[in-house]
Amino acid sequence: MLLQISLNALALGAAYGLLALGFVMILNATSAVNFAHGDMVMVGAYLAIALHGVFNIPGALLLPLVMALMALLGFVFSWFAYFPLKDRPPVSVFISTIAIGIVFQNSINAVQGAEPRKGPALLGEGQLALGSLTISEQSLSIIGVALLLIVAQYYLLNRTGIGRKLRATAQDRPMAEALGIRVNRMIALTFAIGSALAGAAGLMLSNTFFTSPTDGSNYILKAYIAVTIGGWGSLPGALCGALIIALFEVVYPSLPVLIPALKEIAPLLFTQTTSTIVLYIGLLCIMFFRPQGLFGEKVQKRV
Amino acid sequence: MSGIAQTINWSKTGIRPLLILCVLLLAIWPFTMTSAYQIRIFTIVGIYALLSLGYQFIFGHVGALALTQGTFFGVGAYVTGILSTRYGWGGEYTLMLSVLIPIALAAMIAAPVLRLDSHYFALATLGIGQVLLLIAVAWQEVTGGSNGLSGIPALKFLGMEASKGYGIMAVVWGFVVAGAFLSWRITRGLYGAALTISRENPIAALAIGIDTAALRYAMFLLSALFAGVAGALYAHTIKVVSVEALEFPIMVACLTITVVGGRTHIAGAILGAILIINLPEWFRAMEKYYLIAYGVALLVMIVVAPLGLIGLLEQLRVKLWPEQPKQLPAASAPVPAPHAEIMTGTHGTPLLEVKDIHKRFGGVRALNGVSFSIAQGEIFGLIGPNGSGKTTMLNIITGIYRAEAGSVFLLGDNISKKPSFQIARSGVARTFQNINLVDDMTVLDNVAVARYGFEDAGLVQAASAGWHDPAWQRARANAMFILQALGVDLVANQMAGGLPYGSKRKVEIARALALEPRLLLLDEPAAGLNEGEQHDLADRLRTFAKNGLSILVIEHNMPFLMPLAQRMACLDHGELIAEGTPLEIRNNPLVIAAYLGAPEESTV
Repeated sequence: MLLQISLNALALGAAYGLLALGFVMILNATSAVNFAHGDMVMVGAYLAIALHGVFNIPGALLLPLVMALMALLGFVFSWFAYFPLKDRPPVSVFISTIAIGIVFQNSINAVQGAEPRKGPALLGEGQLALGSLTISEQSLSIIGVALLLIVAQYYLLNRTGIGRKLRATAQDRPMAEALGIRVNRMIALTFAIGSALAGAAGLMLSNTFFTSPTDGSNYILKAYIAVTIGGWGSLPGALCGALIIALFEVVYPSLPVLIPALKEIAPLLFTQTTSTIVLYIGLLCIMFFRPQGLFGEKVQKRV
Repeated sequence: MSGIAQTINWSKTGIRPLLILCVLLLAIWPFTMTSAYQIRIFTIVGIYALLSLGYQFIFGHVGALALTQGTFFGVGAYVTGILSTRYGWGGEYTLMLSVLIPIALAAMIAAPVLRLDSHYFALATLGIGQVLLLIAVAWQEVTGGSNGLSGIPALKFLGMEASKGYGIMAVVWGFVVAGAFLSWRITRGLYGAALTISRENPIAALAIGIDTAALRYAMFLLSALFAGVAGALYAHTIKVVSVEALEFPIMVACLTITVVGGRTHIAGAILGAILIINLPEWFRAMEKYYLIAYGVALLVMIVVAPLGLIGLLEQLRVKLWPEQPKQLPAASAPVPAPHAEIMTGTHGTPLLEVKDIHKRFGGVRALNGVSFSIAQGEIFGLIGPNGSGKTTMLNIITGIYRAEAGSVFLLGDNISKKPSFQIARSGVARTFQNINLVDDMTVLDNVAVARYGFEDAGLVQAASAGWHDPAWQRARANAMFILQALGVDLVANQMAGGLPYGSKRKVEIARALALEPRLLLLDEPAAGLNEGEQHDLADRLRTFAKNGLSILVIEHNMPFLMPLAQRMACLDHGELIAEGTPLEIRNNPLVIAAYLGAPEESTV
């Protein structure tokens, strides 16, 4: 039981991790919040469902195609939502990404309807029996694939020339520009990578949790909470934050199962809904006491 | 000038003739309506106009992207829905509670989220909205769950019932007019100028004694007030409250209206509401996917016309028919500040005493045990190589940074724990190395807004003043006097952003002087001034000092500083390495080493 719960939490955390990573990468490169990042997850899920309908192959094989298309979408997205506003206050980008998020949501709604849809499984939906243990095939494959993507992302950022350019652009744009890096290309590339990761998360999450056009705001909040916990702008922090959220979301509703005494005291306190409420209120508490995040370092603005 | 002549003058400036025409057309429009449906749409336009008028306070005037306006609206609607259907309460109570509960909610959530940076703030407010939505869905016994509440009665107030159709429409538009009037009163004068500088340049606002947090708080509550009224009227108009009232599309519509119309213009909220609410009517073919059009409209406006349609019209007017410059107020000297007499009464205590200040940035020691003091009427020069901690010291004195250890005393009073705006109000004024003026405000208004702390300006005062805000008129007259004293009164009517660098510096000094400070902190005041201007500035500073003002000058320009300062100190790597008369400083080997590099034998 405990193993199963932790495996589910790890799978959920890995998918959230991909979402949060993309969010932070874009945040660092542009110092603007991409509000449509949650909608990218939803678009990725619908893309996977559509492609699955055409090719009817497992999600793991669809993944490269979904990610490639999402990267292209991210690229185009940056031309509409970011570049026209890059010299304006960050709030402008926030609003423009809200605008495109609205377009995404309602376009999908127009084409697919508001009904929740189920996405393809990565490999299979069965349960694997390991002695007395049964493990969900989907959870296991999510963990595997997400780990692969996280490692690939780490490798790209830290071990390749283009990764160095990406990081330089994120850390100090004028300096990177002075060194001859084409920063606009790097930023567009960051949007592409971030969207591809969000799309991958969408594919993975849509099998277990289904997807509907209005999912975006939920996902953007998850990414945001992960980043708030982990420290604004930190990639490893975002991953940690994502894992903590997932652990909470999986463990909290199953607390009455783990501790039967709770069931008698307050059966209504441990539903999915209350879990989300508690999570958001927890977030507000973190922000109240530690605005720099749980693990973040306090930054001060230059005057 | 008589009141009528003034009113006529007022109505001819800017795009007001056009707006007045539009208001007249708008007033006639309902009488041409033939179907109940048209009346209903027009009522809903009014409700959204009210919602957006409220949203302009927080989003437009203080520039905080709150995503709670839809939530406050939904809460207002639910309060009316629940109380009127389940308990049969009348409009006197439901309307009041529909306003009070969103305000209380705003007051509660403001504490943790309002001080956050913009992106944090937006997402935090979104989170709050989601929590309330989940509660509304889950708490079926009270809210009716996802089915919502139906059968909400018509609005009854003191025995009068707002009938379906024209009745409720009149009530709604009555509130719009009242809301627009309130909004105009609050934002037109000194209080409005304080809102503008808090939005455009929060650091400068704090430096002139404006409590930006208090302004944000007030605006957040005010936006909740408008949203609560709008929500209650919405419930009475459509007779049903469901979770839709709390869902994101309402917030999206409100944001779109405000961005499309113009985020600080009253007319913008109304024009935006007319366009955005009628959009699905005009494009019926789009059915329910008009929200895509909202998204596109929002994106296009934010890229092409960030000031909204009304802002665009204003720009057009300025381009096509340039206006006569506004008449400047007659200069009048400010009434001496309350602390003026205290200043003359204290002898012996130094005016400013900085004791053993330590400040680190990560691993860098910016200041390491710095102490010095400044006497009354003294001009004190602070020098040191770049990065030696001079500006950091200024930021610590003015409370923008907090020192890890050490204290700052002003006339024996420890100010190191006080918030920045209070330090400014107790008589410490400053200028900035990288000029912090509001570019889109005139020079006169940039200086006048610094009188905020003296005029006892506030929300209530602004709302209750008559046709003119007397506080603003006094502030502008005083500002004119100060501009004259610094010799920059000729540019008073120009936008600050268009001034040459040297004039900007002088305007900043004028703004600092408008605080009637005891201590003036100048960060490289001579930078960008030619020699003549430097002489002129030095002369003026000497005169101020003779009248009792203490001045701390950070400067690299030694020909300017040496003859000006009575005493000087030199910082190097966060340590005070020398203090004395200009002559002593000039001959001090440590100072020479700090500037020119140490001789080789001592760099071991």
